[in-house]
Amino acid sequence: MNRISQASALLLALYLPFATSKCLAGPAAVGVPLNTPAMGVPAAQNGVLIDLARAGTRLVAVGERGLVVFSDDNGQSWRQASVPVSVSLTAVQFVDAQQGWAVGHAGVVLATLDGGEHWTLQLDGARVAQLELDAAKADQATAADPDAAMIRVQNAERLAADGPDKPFLALEFVDAHRGLIVGAYGLALQTTDGGATWHSMMGHIANPNGLHLYAISRQGPRWFLAGEQGYLARSDDDATSFSQLDSPYEGSFFTLQSRADGALLVAGLKGNAFVSNDAGASFQRLSVPVPISFNDATRLADGQLLLVNQGGMLFRNSEQTGAALLPLGKPLGKPVSSVIEAADGSLIVAGFTGLQRLAQPATAASE
Amino acid sequence: MTSPGKFFQSPANAFDDFDPRSGSVLERALFNHRLWVLLLCLATTLVLGWQSSRVELNASFEKMIPTHHPYIANYLEHQKELSGLGNAVRIAVVNKRGEIYDADYLKTLQALSDKIYLLPGVDRAYMKSLWTPATRWVAVTEAGLEGGPVIPDNYDGGTASLAALRRNVQLSNEIGQLVAFDQASSIIQVPLLQRTPDGRPLDYTRLSQQLESLRSQYQSDNIDIRITGFAKKVGDLIAGLRQILIFFAVAILITTVVLYWYTRCIRSTLLVVFCSLVAVVWQLGLLPLLNYQLDPYSVLVPFLVFAIGMSHGAQKMNGIMQDIGRGMHRVVAARFTFRRLFLAGLTALLCDAVGFAVLMIIKIQVIQDLAMIASIGVAVLIFTNLILLPILLSYVGVSGRAARLSLKSEHAEQAGQHRHGFWRFLDLFTQRRWAALCIALSLVLATLGFVVSLQLKVGDLDAGAPELRADSRYNQDDAFLTRHYGASSDLFAVMIKTPASACSRYDILNKVDALDWQLRTLPGVDSTNSLALLNRRMLVGLSEGSPKWYELQNNQAMLNMVTAGAPRGLYNEDCSLLTLYTYLSDHKAQTLSGLVDHVEQFAAANNTDEVQFLLAAGNAGIEAATNIVVKQANREMLFWVYGAVILLCLITFRSWRATVCAVIPLMLTSVLCEALMVWLDIGVKVATLPVIALGVGIGVDYALYVMSILLGHMRQGTSLSESYYRALLSTGKVVMLTGVTLAIGVATWMFSPIKFQADMGVLLAFMFVWNMVGALVLLPALAHFLLPSKRVSTGPAEAEPSHPTSLPLTPALIEEGACVKHSLRLAPGLDQTATAAAHPVAS
Repeated sequence: MNRISQASALLLALYLPFATSKCLAGPAAVGVPLNTPAMGVPAAQNGVLIDLARAGTRLVAVGERGLVVFSDDNGQSWRQASVPVSVSLTAVQFVDAQQGWAVGHAGVVLATLDGGEHWTLQLDGARVAQLELDAAKADQATAADPDAAMIRVQNAERLAADGPDKPFLALEFVDAHRGLIVGAYGLALQTTDGGATWHSMMGHIANPNGLHLYAISRQGPRWFLAGEQGYLARSDDDATSFSQLDSPYEGSFFTLQSRADGALLVAGLKGNAFVSNDAGASFQRLSVPVPISFNDATRLADGQLLLVNQGGMLFRNSEQTGAALLPLGKPLGKPVSSVIEAADGSLIVAGFTGLQRLAQPATAASE
Repeated sequence: MTSPGKFFQSPANAFDDFDPRSGSVLERALFNHRLWVLLLCLATTLVLGWQSSRVELNASFEKMIPTHHPYIANYLEHQKELSGLGNAVRIAVVNKRGEIYDADYLKTLQALSDKIYLLPGVDRAYMKSLWTPATRWVAVTEAGLEGGPVIPDNYDGGTASLAALRRNVQLSNEIGQLVAFDQASSIIQVPLLQRTPDGRPLDYTRLSQQLESLRSQYQSDNIDIRITGFAKKVGDLIAGLRQILIFFAVAILITTVVLYWYTRCIRSTLLVVFCSLVAVVWQLGLLPLLNYQLDPYSVLVPFLVFAIGMSHGAQKMNGIMQDIGRGMHRVVAARFTFRRLFLAGLTALLCDAVGFAVLMIIKIQVIQDLAMIASIGVAVLIFTNLILLPILLSYVGVSGRAARLSLKSEHAEQAGQHRHGFWRFLDLFTQRRWAALCIALSLVLATLGFVVSLQLKVGDLDAGAPELRADSRYNQDDAFLTRHYGASSDLFAVMIKTPASACSRYDILNKVDALDWQLRTLPGVDSTNSLALLNRRMLVGLSEGSPKWYELQNNQAMLNMVTAGAPRGLYNEDCSLLTLYTYLSDHKAQTLSGLVDHVEQFAAANNTDEVQFLLAAGNAGIEAATNIVVKQANREMLFWVYGAVILLCLITFRSWRATVCAVIPLMLTSVLCEALMVWLDIGVKVATLPVIALGVGIGVDYALYVMSILLGHMRQGTSLSESYYRALLSTGKVVMLTGVTLAIGVATWMFSPIKFQADMGVLLAFMFVWNMVGALVLLPALAHFLLPSKRVSTGPAEAEPSHPTSLPLTPALIEEGACVKHSLRLAPGLDQTATAAAHPVAS
């Protein structure tokens, strides 16, 4: 304990000059958030934080106004990363201890090579719209359905005209090269070179109504997408194309997660959650404990799934619990947007009031 | 040596021999028509006494703030558009038996809510509670959003209704706003109008009493009612003012006892008390005639007037007593005293008035009112204590024993007895060793005091309403609300002016959003609220509650839609003014100045022709402006007060050395007073400004009394030690009496339920006592080094008339009785002509 507090004091001492130098700059003219580096703030871990990821043993959280914070002591102390934009970041993922990506509003994609301490901009909404417009026009020539291709071009033109106001909402990187990002109004792009170049996937995902895509899950070459109004889609060809699945629910899904036994869990609005043991062909409803929406789900080291809802309640589900969602601990009394297990087994939750560390709930979970 | 016996032979001693046509026009006019003067005074007292029953207690919001400051000007300009910001009462109704989802509780809440709705001065359209239709809930469904009033339309108090209410409250976003976090209480939010519908300004006293009676009516074993808000605070302040009467009585009692101890004459003591009280009655009677009201600050003025009246009255009486002691008839004694003292007394009172007048430079109306009311009081004292008192004394006289006592030490010395031990002790400070020691000690004190005073803070340092004590009912209620509801009571608001109908424009909201975010990172800022923040939250709500949409999106259609449905207060009716609210953890000056500096810099970098960020509204915003004014006024006032005092001393003494001797003790007191403020955790605030002016303005009197006599003797060639002793005998005792009566007069405030009055009492008492000590100890020590005794070669008899102009014009002279006496002794043979020559001011 003592050593930890000493370490955090040291970290704090190292951080303080860093923080003050940022604050001393004083208020300047307000620019476009897309071009404005995120402001250094004294207690960044108390900002609105939206998603969490692990980079090796390091924890990284992203959130409002380009806020990225990381912790090397399992969430006891946090430092703020340097980020070139101040739009809200919605999702973050690492493929190893160093390399990771984050996506967010205004169509931004950020990449890091040092475990999340420094980030660079790889893509923004204006280029996303241009990529989609180019792709739509290119595909139009060879399209089987000219009407659909025409609508796609019109949509892409509108996307370009709207300007970069649409967010990406989820990302999934297979390795340091290949990744898929999805977002609002069916935005979807893929890279095979670690983000150096992107190509639009919107013509290869069956999403005729342009619904928001909130979550991605991957089981080997099989990929799943979940989104607005019960949208579910699957790819059997390693994300080359996606076809829509029959949905068990008309409300929105916000999270997708694969259980250790291969079952797929999808959860969302008003506490609705479903599990599929046949790769999405059929879904079994999980009991709705309270009609409060689920925001996120994560897989713990022991293979159990952990779900969090907007009321700050945690539930676990595993092969053993079957269709039941068992409450874990007391409700936190505040909305939780994301949860992750730290290297020491403690849980970190993120939400509108910042980060919170729940020490040792894993023991409770395994009982 | 002349014996008093010689004096008795003066032809004027006997009443029959006295020529009533002697003396100035004024003296003749007054003393030859004593009865008429008395009748006139009686009539005035009756009329003004009747008038004084009409004195109103009030504390208008605008009076307490520096209305000329640009921040306040901005606030006042947009006040009408900043609904519910400046002036609202929050009433928390607590269910002691559990949560608010209880039919009995809700019934009480409804009844109370209805009663409050009908109170005059309530801005009914915007009153809010669980029962008002504007309190709504919103929920996300698969199909979109749905909503309704929090209390269901078909509410019947049954279990189902209560369950629906509980669900609606969860969905209403009101937890932490209208409903406490623990859901055991809810709030009735009552915005107030500046004027009641009949056009009269809102009567806070009445409103507060009405709220109190509602509180006692509805508070029970099950229901607790807690009330906060400016109107309630002022109501409590005014209620606290009523207790002032008790302190006034105590002050009268103690000063009377002190005066009696000094004079040993009940008759004259009561007379002085009576005259001082007449002064207070006249003063209070004049207030309604001149359209002034008493507020929590000016209510202290009668204390000061009374105390000043007591000390001047005592001096007057001292003169008459000594004359009577020398065998004069009481009428003759009164006339002589009047002759000697009227102008001197007048000047002394004018000196005090300087202290008050300097307060007029502070552009805060309560302070200016205080200065004005105090000036009225001092003017009244001229009539009651300089005219009425000697006339009354000429009828009543003093007891013979007291008259003899008043000359006791003089006689004792003449009888060859030793000087009183205390005088001998004080005399030590005119000797090199003690003087050096005293000055060294003062230097140490000054240095220490200065070092400590560097930590002096500006503004109020305590949580809650700093005007009231921490354990007052109001502050307990305030702490309850802060604890159980999100927003603290310290609100700082920035106004953002935009073109008409453009308040929801993205580029503008983006700036507001940036400032909002920057302010939240400042120390002392708990939370913020703005239309930009609402847009972020609403986008989450409209996106089915997904936190991934927490962003101010550059989507004008969305921004317009959210703005159209935004609650009142974030922008004005024609969408040309946004308000950014900042809730603070305290209202310490440091927190406020950090905030102000940041917003100023932000405004400088971001203001355009179209968009202007304006400071400041909210109680903390007003306090920030007040702090700025007070901080500046504090410096200015020190400058003016000391400037006036130094000028006065220079005119009186005609010697820069004597001026230094008189002023340095005052400065030491001022420094130590600041150190005391640090020690007692009192910041420089509106209430402490008058303390500094009054402390120095009245405090200089002591130095004037002592120094003028001392100087007069030294100019005749007497040694410092001897001169000082003479000064002590004549004025020293009265200086001590004055110091003690003034200190007692203000020290009773320490028990006031109003915190700043208690602070003022402590500080003023300290200044009065310490200034007195300085005048008696440090002044002679400085004089030892600065005023070398000069050997006058000529005889004293010639010296006296050759320096007529060198004699102080002033107050000091008040004690002149003794001075005259000494000159007589020094110059045996001199008769009244010489006396008159020595005191041109009196003739």
